[in-house]
Amino acid sequence: MKLTKYEKARIIGARALQLSMGAPPLIRLSKDMHEPITIAIEELNRGVIPITVYRRMPEKKLLGEEE
Amino acid sequence: MVVKELVRVPPDRFGTKLEETIMDILKRGYEYRGRQEGGYEGKLQPELGTILAVTKVLDIEEGRVIPGDGAAYHPTTFEMLVFKPELHEIVDAEVVEVREFGAFVRFAHFDGLVHVSQLTDDFIVYDKKRGALIGKETRRVLEPGDRVRARIVAVSLDPEKVTNTKINLTMRQPGLGKFEWIEEDKKKKEKGE
Repeated sequence: MKLTKYEKARIIGARALQLSMGAPPLIRLSKDMHEPITIAIEELNRGVIPITVYRRMPEKKLLGEEE
Repeated sequence: MVVKELVRVPPDRFGTKLEETIMDILKRGYEYRGRQEGGYEGKLQPELGTILAVTKVLDIEEGRVIPGDGAAYHPTTFEMLVFKPELHEIVDAEVVEVREFGAFVRFAHFDGLVHVSQLTDDFIVYDKKRGALIGKETRRVLEPGDRVRARIVAVSLDPEKVTNTKINLTMRQPGLGKFEWIEEDKKKKEKGE
């Protein structure tokens, strides 16, 4: 499922914070990758972030989907 | 005792075995912003008693990401071994100290007080030199090192200050007292005295 730009921003933000707090990166880092945000964006592009988005739907159903 | 609680797993512990990490947090804990997270072993909680050990992690639910914190919060169900002195419970204890107002007895890791008036039906005299309490009629002696059986009559637990944790006991009931006395009383009863 395609993520909205808001969801993307939320995931990148959360993931970057995790990285900055010492979480091990899930991708092999190239030499010019130091910024947590850069790493988080790259991780998102490769689809390796284990975060699930629960969308709150109007029918009060929760729609879960892998990132 | 089974408990469910939200466990904070910090980001630097990601990528390790989640169950082991959570077990370690529950057992030993860590500091986060001046707050203690987990580390339940050896802690005293008024509702539960003392947590002797975290024995098993039963269930770990999916973690949640909370805005502003990079950690994952996992609702975790786990099992722990607790000891709580219950009112009216009978305990076997060891006398550790004797004062003029009563005897301090130790059971498990708690110290309780048996007041002089709650020792026996006999009138009790304090022997300063021996550090013992002696019954005037029966000549029964109670001194440190004696093993006794007693009933808990009052419990007040305070996790903040150990000195505020007070447990009072009585030995003034049939079948209670120093083990030797219990035996004597039994024999007397058999003889029909």
